[in-house]
Amino acid sequence: MRRRVFIAIFGSALLGGTALLWRNLSLFWRPGFDLHIAETVKALTGLLFPGDELPGAAELGIHDRVLAMAELRDAMADGVGWFDQRAKSQGAANFLALDESARSAAIEAAFASRDEAAKQFVVLLRFYAGLNYYSHPTVKAAFPYTDPPQPEGFADFQDPPR
Amino acid sequence: MKNEAEWDAVVVGAGAGGAAAAYGLCQRDMSVLLLDAGPQFNPIVDYPLTESDWEAHEFPEKPGSAASITFAPGQKLTGAEPLLVSGSRGVGPLVTSGTRWMEKYYHVRGIGGTTLHFTGESHRMHPDAMKMQSRFGVAADWPIDYAELEPFYIRAEELVGVAGPASQGARWRSRGFPLPAHPLSYAARTLGRGAAALGLDWQANSRAALSRVWNGRPPCNYCGGCNNGCPRGDKGSADVTFIPAALATGRCVIRADSPVIRIEAGAGDRVTGVLVGHADGTIERIATTHLILACGAVETPRLLLASDALANESGEVGRNFMDTLDVMVGALHPDPQHARRGLPSDAISWDFNAPDAIPGVIGGCRIYNASGESELKGLAGFALRAVPGWGRTHAQSVRRWWGHSLHVGGIGESLPNRNSRVDLDPDQRDRFGIPLARISAWLDEPDIARLRFMAAKSRELLAASGAVDIFETYTSWDWFGASHVFGTCRMGADSASSVANADGRSHRWRNLWIADGSVFPSSGGGEAPSLTIHALALRTAERIGKDD
Repeated sequence: MRRRVFIAIFGSALLGGTALLWRNLSLFWRPGFDLHIAETVKALTGLLFPGDELPGAAELGIHDRVLAMAELRDAMADGVGWFDQRAKSQGAANFLALDESARSAAIEAAFASRDEAAKQFVVLLRFYAGLNYYSHPTVKAAFPYTDPPQPEGFADFQDPPR
Repeated sequence: MKNEAEWDAVVVGAGAGGAAAAYGLCQRDMSVLLLDAGPQFNPIVDYPLTESDWEAHEFPEKPGSAASITFAPGQKLTGAEPLLVSGSRGVGPLVTSGTRWMEKYYHVRGIGGTTLHFTGESHRMHPDAMKMQSRFGVAADWPIDYAELEPFYIRAEELVGVAGPASQGARWRSRGFPLPAHPLSYAARTLGRGAAALGLDWQANSRAALSRVWNGRPPCNYCGGCNNGCPRGDKGSADVTFIPAALATGRCVIRADSPVIRIEAGAGDRVTGVLVGHADGTIERIATTHLILACGAVETPRLLLASDALANESGEVGRNFMDTLDVMVGALHPDPQHARRGLPSDAISWDFNAPDAIPGVIGGCRIYNASGESELKGLAGFALRAVPGWGRTHAQSVRRWWGHSLHVGGIGESLPNRNSRVDLDPDQRDRFGIPLARISAWLDEPDIARLRFMAAKSRELLAASGAVDIFETYTSWDWFGASHVFGTCRMGADSASSVANADGRSHRWRNLWIADGSVFPSSGGGEAPSLTIHALALRTAERIGKDD
């Protein structure tokens, strides 16, 4: 019966995101802003999925996959704008000018925010960066039972996990 | 337009019902043209279960494989329903609008139809669930009983290669399942210990998946990927069972990408043929002696209503829509389970399946191992849904808990009501100008009570199994994502309150037959419908042309 929870959540997450599409585009999409967005998304992705025993998301280039998602461009523009605005209110030039502790606090604030653009952005970023990070061969190789279902199947399906 | 030779029968829809009907008709030496609006899938090419990113893909969509459907506004969600709110600890609530999310009708157009992505549970109806009106005063009685359907269940099970246990309680059998039941997975046995602690029967589910070689098809290798499409051919979808059997007779021709856009009616209460739309915009007329509709409980009423409300003398075409009433709860177990291993839905409890088995509510349900259907099979889904947060703490939790998830689900009786129906969208049309089907779905209080029971029982079973840390719940209370749908051309003895008679024939139109889930007068207590659709279609095929 159910076969669609994973993707349905994916779709649901986008519902709010699409409401943001095109809004404020003209405010943020100016020459040079692409690079700033890319650097900010890279920094955020690295904090969301940092390296410890495994390479982190930034090291694996996960941010590039997220940045390549055209449907997220406007949500990213809105979200980065929120992070920069918050940093400015704290006396910094932008989010990238903050130290790691302040950046982490900003992420916490975004998840807890009532600002639609901020919350939607970090939820989407967590989802898509996480999807790509935990689908990356290097990461999957560190976990048991992450091979594709076929062609081997699971001959040990009756046994305790290895 | 161009003319075609007249066929003994044209079957519209090559899914569970249409494929079985075509096979049954070919067995009687009739010439059959089997049409489907969707494409032919190639399991080896189209089902990416060997790819490293398999988890990010659902069953594939190909051009024409997804019908356009519209929805009436969702039901306003009232009252606090803490057991029924959909969402996960990792992603948060699924629905925040205050109305039921009308997400999707999960239907596949193509050769094999929705069986291409079904789990492959193979269930007979509970005999008492076919007498809901006379026994319990709700829904409608089936005009046939279990005994009349039983020989056709046997035929379908043999062709599909159903693997099942020796006994299924009230579902008596004149012959055993053709194949032995699959062994329970490790996770199912963990849940079985919980079921035993609660005093619940917990048995092997009957599955349209081969437990040994059958008719040249290989046995299942327990990859758990049934819902993504089976590239091996061991899952008993219609494209590897009824359709090759029909083709082997030499009397069946199959045409994919052939949407029927209108039924033509003639004199003497007979239909004369169908109009088929082509990609280039041309329309083809195909004449037939008998017409069998098997497009499912959404598209079959749409086609009838769009054909000048054909066969709607009762006004019941499109009414009595019953959707999928279901619950799924996920929790973490202290010990690793790696529950993606094995057949999805491999174990089931029928204890609450009888229509009077749930205390205080009419209509039954079943409880089952939903770990394989949870779509939490891969690492990414687990990391995002089961583990909240981000950063190093998140990474450590993912490492700690990966493979510890278990899911239990329930599917229950969906009773018809006057607010739930399929009609024609007044505004939206397809590329041939035919109005789209519009689904209106409404849950009455007994449905919600049944959902509460299923959610509570699923939690109890998880807890009794040791999985007390619940991290997600998904239910059809706030989320319409139906795959089992029924009732929109119900069959019955009374032509004033039903669309088809006991044989599946239109009460008025003497050569118009219906062979899909739309004829179900009641949904059953959570039984998967495909086997009953097969059996009804085989029975209908036996009767076509017999009394003209």
